[in-house]
Amino acid sequence: MSFESLRRKRKETAVPTDSLSDIAFLLIIFFILATSIQKIAGFRTDLPSGSRDQQTQKADDKTPTVGLKGDRIQFNEEDVSIDELRTKLAALRLKERSEERRVVLLDASAETGYQTYYSVMAAITAADGVIGIMTEDD
Amino acid sequence: MKLHRRRRMAISVPTTSMGDIAFLLIIFFMLCSNFMNEANIRIAPPTSPQIEIVENASISIIIDEEGQIHVNGKPVDSDAAVEAIVENALQGKTTDEDRFVIFRCDRTIEKRIFEPVLEAITKAGGLIIAVGDKQEQN
Repeated sequence: MSFESLRRKRKETAVPTDSLSDIAFLLIIFFILATSIQKIAGFRTDLPSGSRDQQTQKADDKTPTVGLKGDRIQFNEEDVSIDELRTKLAALRLKERSEERRVVLLDASAETGYQTYYSVMAAITAADGVIGIMTEDD
Repeated sequence: MKLHRRRRMAISVPTTSMGDIAFLLIIFFMLCSNFMNEANIRIAPPTSPQIEIVENASISIIIDEEGQIHVNGKPVDSDAAVEAIVENALQGKTTDEDRFVIFRCDRTIEKRIFEPVLEAITKAGGLIIAVGDKQEQN
């Protein structure tokens, strides 16, 4: 009797990988379905901030000013709608002016909502204006 | 006469490397994806017809419907904290593209809440991309 015949045959061990590709493709499908390509809509704006100062105001009397009081919009102290404001800003031809003469001052009261503020900022930016925020000094 | 039946060749698609390809695709998707850490922040964005598709930026600031400020999805206490975080994030960045900051705000939020945040971003050297929804013109 030989030892060879007595030696137990070792069982072959193998990790079953047949379904691995199925699992991987299921994960890919999950990622594709769960992903949304985000497109952001908005406008770029650079806001130089300034402070209300009597002397500056006198010197810059010609600087166009947009006033916001709640939902009311004023252009150079005259009540206008948002469409009228766009027309008036377009008529200023800010694009043809030098950088420092493109400033449009934005003077908003504390209760002004972001929707009104945003529409006005978008209008000034679209007219190639540079927004100057007017802030009250304490 | 003896007729020999031709043996049919077994046809099989080689699928051994399919799992590897699939996992490489998964790794690609995972590296290219940005997980939305702001999905739980509820805001009603403002609308304007004068906005366009803009590029995304690495810093995102949101003011939600309750007036809570979030920087990159994490709530912060004040505009001073926003200024410090943005200033820190923009250190060493010189090009305009690197200094863009995405700003989202609920349309009902009043100026006394959002304007200090806009000023804080500007003071920290950020260029604001004000995000909203496109309003279709009639």
